[in-house]
Amino acid sequence: MTKVNKNWLEWTVFGVGLVLVLGTIGYLLYDAATIGEPLPDLEVGVGRAELHGQDFAVPVKVTNRGQQTAEGVQVEVVLIKDGAEQERGTFEIAFVPRRAEREGWVTFKTDPRGGELRARVLGYERP
Amino acid sequence: MGGRKRTGRGREPRTRSVALSLREYGRGLAGGLLFSLPLLYTMEVWWMGFIASPLRLLVYVSATFVLLLGYNRYAGLRRDASFREVMIDSVEEMGIGILFAALILWLLGRVTLEQHHSEIVGRIVVEAMTVAVGVSVGTAQLGGDEDEEVGMQGDGDEGEDDSVEISGGEEDGSDQGESGAGGGRTHITFGGQIVLAFCGAVLFAANVAPTEEIVMIATEISPLRAVGLALFSLSIGAVVLFFSSFRGSERFAPVSDRWSIVIGTVVTYAIALVASALILWFFGRFEGQAVIVCVMQTVVLGVAGSLGASAGRLLLQ
Repeated sequence: MTKVNKNWLEWTVFGVGLVLVLGTIGYLLYDAATIGEPLPDLEVGVGRAELHGQDFAVPVKVTNRGQQTAEGVQVEVVLIKDGAEQERGTFEIAFVPRRAEREGWVTFKTDPRGGELRARVLGYERP
Repeated sequence: MGGRKRTGRGREPRTRSVALSLREYGRGLAGGLLFSLPLLYTMEVWWMGFIASPLRLLVYVSATFVLLLGYNRYAGLRRDASFREVMIDSVEEMGIGILFAALILWLLGRVTLEQHHSEIVGRIVVEAMTVAVGVSVGTAQLGGDEDEEVGMQGDGDEGEDDSVEISGGEEDGSDQGESGAGGGRTHITFGGQIVLAFCGAVLFAANVAPTEEIVMIATEISPLRAVGLALFSLSIGAVVLFFSSFRGSERFAPVSDRWSIVIGTVVTYAIALVASALILWFFGRFEGQAVIVCVMQTVVLGVAGSLGASAGRLLLQ
């Protein structure tokens, strides 16, 4: 059998390469083994409204706790004040990868402070 | 090959100098970038990193590794290297690919620490595989005359590296003749040709496959145009391999008779189609599609594939 003749630099690169390759494969194996129900599981959280120019911007956080990416996620936020619906705002997020978090904003003309904000995901597709 | 036997006779192993390996890595990085830049700047590829399941990514990594082994075996820098050396080279190239892809994706803002680790790993893995193939091709193909000579001599295991001088004894004298014929640019077997054609097809087709345009074209063109595309792909293969005295074409695709031209062309196109279909499958382009659309996509991508399997293959040798 031939001896592999390499200098220290080549052995170093090989060592780092081996660690990276094995690490990647190990991670993917672990990920594949622990992956659960392969459906997106989206959760919407509404932040505090801020006055931006003439409108009130409300930050919305969409978290995907599921195991699959959701594409074209449509989010709707309804502003209820004094017992009646005042306004609704929607936006769309191109992708929410599995276990990832994305952020968007809806804007209202009415001051949402003191009112109630109901946020929900209207729909999404499987990529 | 002859070189391996001779080393078995107890020749002292010689190492390359650090300067020489640095130059090789430099070429590898340039090659990696050269071949993968379009993919590093394509959003469908970034998305693939989080859309693909970890199992699919594993298949992708394994397939790339096999491709690297094949390429390093049949066309790499040290062509008659032992299996162990080919393994080591492939691991090295894949490692460089991962590091380099991570760096560039980070510089482009496509990978950030706020992302979940599965997304980070996914994005890097998808890009790193093309970079790795590019590194492999770049190291072997972008070398200048001086490096090439050293590389070729190294092939026969007879060469004098920068670092070690060997005295030209009678044994060396006799070996030198052999190495002239046996080492370096020799004829590659049919199996080797197929592996190289496949590498070329993957390298070229992978750059176009992930884009939406392939599906768009496949669903919009008429069947007649698809036939036209197939004929066009076949002609590209035939012209490049047999009629345009491309670099290396006489040596690797010698024209003996009409039948060998037909067979060579058809085999090359078949390889291009298989490579195209595999890549499309990886990028999830076949999911939920009618069979005819899958076939159409394969034919559309087959143009790039057959360019890679013919011109790409000759350049890869």
